[in-house]
Amino acid sequence: MKLLLIEDEKALATSIQNYFQRENFICEWAADYRTAVDKINIYRYDCVLVDLMLPDGDGLDAVRELKRNFPETGIIIISAKNSLDDRITGLNLGSDDYLTKPFHLSELNARVQAVIRRRSFQGSQQIRFGKIQIDPQEHLVLVDQQEIVLTRKEYDLLVYLIANKNRVLTKESIAEHLWGDDADLMDNFDFIYTHIKNLRKKLMDKGCPDYLKSIYGVGYKFSEQ
Amino acid sequence: MKLLERILKYQIITSLCVLTLGAVLFYLSVDYLIDREVNKELMRSKAKVSWQLRHIDELPVYILQLGDSLQLDQVRYPGQMAIVERKLFNEFENEYQPYRQLIFYERVEGAWYRVTISKLLAQRKQLLEAVVMTVTFIVALLLISLLLLNSWLSRRLWRPFYKTLRALDSYQVEQHEVLTFPKSHTVEFEQLNLSVTQFTDRLAATYQNLKEFTENASHEIQTPLAVILSKIEGLFQDESLKESQLVALSEISEAANRLAKLNQALLLLTKIENRQFLAGTEPISLVPIINRKLRDLEDLIEQREITVKTDIEPTGPVMHPALAEVLVNNLLTNAIRYNVNGGAIEITLNAGKLVVRNTGAPIHIEPELMFERFRKEGTHSASLGLGLALAKTICQVNGQTLTYETDGPWHILTVTW
Repeated sequence: MKLLLIEDEKALATSIQNYFQRENFICEWAADYRTAVDKINIYRYDCVLVDLMLPDGDGLDAVRELKRNFPETGIIIISAKNSLDDRITGLNLGSDDYLTKPFHLSELNARVQAVIRRRSFQGSQQIRFGKIQIDPQEHLVLVDQQEIVLTRKEYDLLVYLIANKNRVLTKESIAEHLWGDDADLMDNFDFIYTHIKNLRKKLMDKGCPDYLKSIYGVGYKFSEQ
Repeated sequence: MKLLERILKYQIITSLCVLTLGAVLFYLSVDYLIDREVNKELMRSKAKVSWQLRHIDELPVYILQLGDSLQLDQVRYPGQMAIVERKLFNEFENEYQPYRQLIFYERVEGAWYRVTISKLLAQRKQLLEAVVMTVTFIVALLLISLLLLNSWLSRRLWRPFYKTLRALDSYQVEQHEVLTFPKSHTVEFEQLNLSVTQFTDRLAATYQNLKEFTENASHEIQTPLAVILSKIEGLFQDESLKESQLVALSEISEAANRLAKLNQALLLLTKIENRQFLAGTEPISLVPIINRKLRDLEDLIEQREITVKTDIEPTGPVMHPALAEVLVNNLLTNAIRYNVNGGAIEITLNAGKLVVRNTGAPIHIEPELMFERFRKEGTHSASLGLGLALAKTICQVNGQTLTYETDGPWHILTVTW
């Protein structure tokens, strides 16, 4: 998978690049509008991450350029602008998602994977991890071909965990992924624990090994070993 | 009271004073002239009577005017000549009427006589009537012409002023609009229009600056925060870190997250206060917003065993949909956050009113103080303390009122529009 990151903040760009390299993605970086347009017109990308405020141009122009020439490329806007206008303009122009800075890298990762999955028409849209197989269109979860019934939150949690497999996920990032702005309604993260516990139990009941590890004081990690 | 009406009021008061004073002066001066004339006539009559008494034995009746009377009384000694006024009975009119009498003494054939010439003072009464009637007529004429002039002025002369006023009334700074007006022939209105134009021009520029500043500030603060958070997340993946380091990192991460949320909430608050959200154009129903929010919060409500009772009609105020969403969000999350486990929430929505009641721990300050920024009761560290301030500000810019009352265990937040 090949990504292009259009972002003028070097420190943030390196973090994002490092994160996706661990995912075995090729993540190229353009620090300004001119470089970004050059790269867009030479190479093909599966997904492009665009910051709206660039030193020499508007990220929305890059989105337009992409849509005109390569409509099949996934686009995610990452912006510090949280205004409704920008959000609507961005989505109307055909970007697939809009993420407001600051964000959790794990959240960005999950969204990039969702975009790529939605756009890969020829390839399989199934999510596979160990014994687990998920059909995102049907919201169907199978373990060893047996269906398990999950609540909406448990399903979201599982997809998020798999998207960020082999990584330490903080409780905050999980809470925010599941509850958005309402995440701060929880005075402690016991609540996440309830969902984690239920999910783990349902998976193990169907013969899954215990993929979920708790990392003390931090959060959880979903991995095969 | 309209300016023209106030001017008219003073005009009427002044004219009434001037007219009354004028009438009094007029009356006094004419009265003085008549008085002098009456005295002169009396003296002329006296001369005639004296002459007649000296030279003719009998007095002819015609020497005096009709209505006047002459009386001769024999006296022993003569007195001083005098002019007196007294009321005498008039047989023709059958009433008492004012008369002026000239009394003098004349010696005829050795005997003294007191001569009294009485003159009816009917003119004075007529004069008074004439003056009052004239003045009343002038006053009526003046009032009518003033009223007519006034309405004409308000229609013609003040038209540009009312036009400016209407334009100012419907002025919205969010539109970045500069008000311009057609040329007026009145110097003052021309000046007013010029000032308004310059003023709105400056206002639009300042507003634009402010908006840009707010957005730039948002960008500038969010970006370093994004860097901090992304670096922390990268560090979490480092397997060589010790547990204590991970815990410290986790705490840093929490604090940075909180800072980011705080910044976003403050920016939203500033944006609403700067009225960067346009006013709504039509009433929006709060029902779908409430239902969606309750669905989102469903598992939280369940986990805390809170009972939710709703009594909602499809109605809502005129406001920007995004703000309605924020308002409902804040009221409902507030009702959950400060609720007690096993508590209750009651949501009532009907025409002009949204009431959110929730059970909760008692608060120890004035409920209205809870609308202040960063005001928190208790130790809800996860809360930013901006939720109710945000709700209050939204209501303020949309012309709604938000009140906070407590009733035993119940906390009642009411939005009225």
